[in-house]
Amino acid sequence: MPYLEMKGITKLYPNHMRANDAIDFSLEKNEIHAIVGENGAGKSTLMKILYGLEQADAGSIALAGRTVHIRGPLDANRLGIGMVHQHFKLIPEFSVAENIVLGIEPRKNLLFVDRNAAVQRISEVIASHGFSVDPRARVMTLTVGQMQQVEIVKMLYRNVDLLILDEPTSVLTEQEIHRLFETLRSLRRDGATCIIITHKLQEVMEISDRVTVMRKGKVIAVRRTAEVTKAELSRLMVGRSVLFQIERPKNACGSAVLELVNVTLKQRGRDRALLDAVTLTVRSCEIVAVAGVSGNGLGELEDVVTGLRRITSGRILHNGEDIAGLTPATLRERGFAYVPADRLRRGSSLKSTVTENMIVTSRHRFLRAGFLKGKKIRQFAERLTESFSIDGGPRVPVGTLSGGNIQKVILARELASDSNLVIVSEPTWGLDVASSQFVYEKILEMRKAGAGVLFISSNLDEILGIADTIAVMYRGRIVANLPNLPGLSKERIGEYMLGLRDDFAPAGAQRKDAPA
Amino acid sequence: MKERRSLGELVTGFTGLALTLLLSFGLVVVLIFVLSRTPARTLYFFFVGAFTNSYYLGNMLNVAVPLVFTGLGISVAFKAAVFNLGGEGQIYAGGLAATAVCLALPAANGFLGGLSALAGAAVLSGAIAGVSGLLRMKWNTDEMISSFLLSVAVVLVVNYFITGPLDDPKNNLQSTLAIGAHYGLSGIFPPSKLNSSAFFALAAALLMFFFVYKSRAGYEMRMCGQNREFSRYGGINVSKYLVLPMILSGALHGLGGGLMVLGTYRATIEGFSFGMGWNGIAVALIAKNNPLGVIPAALLFAYLDAGAKAAMINSDITFEIAAIAQSFIFYFVTARALYSLTRIRSRA
Repeated sequence: MPYLEMKGITKLYPNHMRANDAIDFSLEKNEIHAIVGENGAGKSTLMKILYGLEQADAGSIALAGRTVHIRGPLDANRLGIGMVHQHFKLIPEFSVAENIVLGIEPRKNLLFVDRNAAVQRISEVIASHGFSVDPRARVMTLTVGQMQQVEIVKMLYRNVDLLILDEPTSVLTEQEIHRLFETLRSLRRDGATCIIITHKLQEVMEISDRVTVMRKGKVIAVRRTAEVTKAELSRLMVGRSVLFQIERPKNACGSAVLELVNVTLKQRGRDRALLDAVTLTVRSCEIVAVAGVSGNGLGELEDVVTGLRRITSGRILHNGEDIAGLTPATLRERGFAYVPADRLRRGSSLKSTVTENMIVTSRHRFLRAGFLKGKKIRQFAERLTESFSIDGGPRVPVGTLSGGNIQKVILARELASDSNLVIVSEPTWGLDVASSQFVYEKILEMRKAGAGVLFISSNLDEILGIADTIAVMYRGRIVANLPNLPGLSKERIGEYMLGLRDDFAPAGAQRKDAPA
Repeated sequence: MKERRSLGELVTGFTGLALTLLLSFGLVVVLIFVLSRTPARTLYFFFVGAFTNSYYLGNMLNVAVPLVFTGLGISVAFKAAVFNLGGEGQIYAGGLAATAVCLALPAANGFLGGLSALAGAAVLSGAIAGVSGLLRMKWNTDEMISSFLLSVAVVLVVNYFITGPLDDPKNNLQSTLAIGAHYGLSGIFPPSKLNSSAFFALAAALLMFFFVYKSRAGYEMRMCGQNREFSRYGGINVSKYLVLPMILSGALHGLGGGLMVLGTYRATIEGFSFGMGWNGIAVALIAKNNPLGVIPAALLFAYLDAGAKAAMINSDITFEIAAIAQSFIFYFVTARALYSLTRIRSRA
């Protein structure tokens, strides 16, 4: 009998998307079980249901043969289930010990927190698992790897024997990953059971006993790790190609519009570079797609190219001139258009009207002595809402529109002006087929008009359909830069995305050692 | 179209407000029935007293004038999602600056002298509030806290000038020397204290309305207030709109203080701005931060104030009871308004 058995788990999200569709998932006592799948496959949703952060719409959970109802993390903790989130839930100003005992502090005289008792008990847990953190240190002084140890100790302190780790390696260096795996093995020796969510197949092979593959809210396969190859897992994850109807006429590329030369981005307190010597060129009349799994630097690439984040080193050139350090406003004057991945916080202001959203990048064109020309603006907004067939009209707050229409407002604004460089990130994420088709047509129009397009996306089907050149990022590095020729398969790109292939590995290693 | 929407918001805002007011008025009626031996007479003066003669009416309108300025000052900052809690000190400093300019130029032309006095008030208070904006921009210091603390210090500094260098030794009142009579604003509703500063208040509200809804800076400021990440993305200088609204807010408070000196007091009297910063916040919240809504909101506040005074003079209730009745209404209105304040803040 399995230790944990989740049966027929179904979770519907408000837009009728089945995040989990009748999922059966089971876990043996004392195993390390990996769950793999692309973004949006439903891995995190399933784990949130197990940890009580979400409630399933259908299905049942049985732990050690007994049916359980998990209404929240406290229920889960009581049942011995713990979770280490991808984004740590720690209070930086508190000490390690204070963070660990938060909510279940040992008391002195029923009233005061017994700090010494807390530190002593935590020291025991830390010593028995070979962790390297000082319980009295403040969390803000720790490295990312140590913070993760604190999260794990926090769960062990609560006597958890089923530990869920949500993408635990995405923020760690190779050495830290190695340490984490040592810890997981030691936990397994002590009788604990672990679930590890990851995108990285190398890690699956290294640490797990069994692996469950998920795709589009369903379990595709469950395998013993020893009996499966990385190539097979990769195929199971990406699935069969979907045919896209994108007419992409051939045209000759012009001169370089955007060039990135050894662009590196580091964050304080993190040893791993978010962007590691990224070199990439976008020419006019060319669509360069950058593919990758989230957490591998796509978001950071988007930020640095659009001037929203300063790079640590390297050069970014626009039409041959260095633009690193320029403000978003200056970049827009230079002819940048930018459709961000985060359309609800960055790409639009939900409380503002459609009109107010549309003029934010072109407001300079509607000025008379510091005042806005109301009539001109009205005509402009009416023309755009009509030509992009945006429901609701120009006067309603953007927040009242559907996701597809919000994206149309952003596209209308960004593609309305004459741009020589278009940066789009996950432009069809969450859109239906017709809306996606519309987005592709607009982007191809911009390409035809001579713009260079940087197309950041994790959707391989659309990348293969629309791009002239495909680059792949893995752990902040460009690992492939290939022309999109008919022979290029989704499986091959998938292997680059998952870290199985790397065209630039030796050169990348040399660059790291060379002086900057 | 934008202003049509904002007027629409105002109307829906007022239906909710009307309910709140009715409820609190009901409580005041109960309170007065319990505490007054002549409840009918007390109620009459509390609710109708302000309209019984031109003296009360004019004074009520005069009380509304600085409330319009403080309400505008808060509203403008709110539009950019920055918060100025230093209104009291800024009004006080504005009053002192206006007084000092008038005293320094005793022979000047009344019109030009008065204008320079107001300019001095706006500049000084704008600078004081601007400091909090700069701190927010440079080190992300909460401008709510810093403006409040700064205001506490400014009040003490102004007190020093009132009782020290600018003290009027002939006057028993703790106040500065009186400004020259030619600087005073002319009365428009004698014998009440209402004076031409009322026109300044109307003009300021109109100007601010056009600034907020029609100008480019107003648009950029509102976008920053509604979504700072979006504004940065759109190429708006978001740092600028942490400082500019604070300066503008401070300047409006300063003008309010300066006009009170020129129109009503003719000197800076100790403590004249006491509590006015908070009243400005309440006015702005009732007005839903719409510059045109500030006028009726300020009138409502002034009306309650005048009613309490009239009831006190003409019936058996004491100052304390009148104040309690008044604060009933304030509590209700601000509780409602604070609810929306927390929503604005969590958004920003």
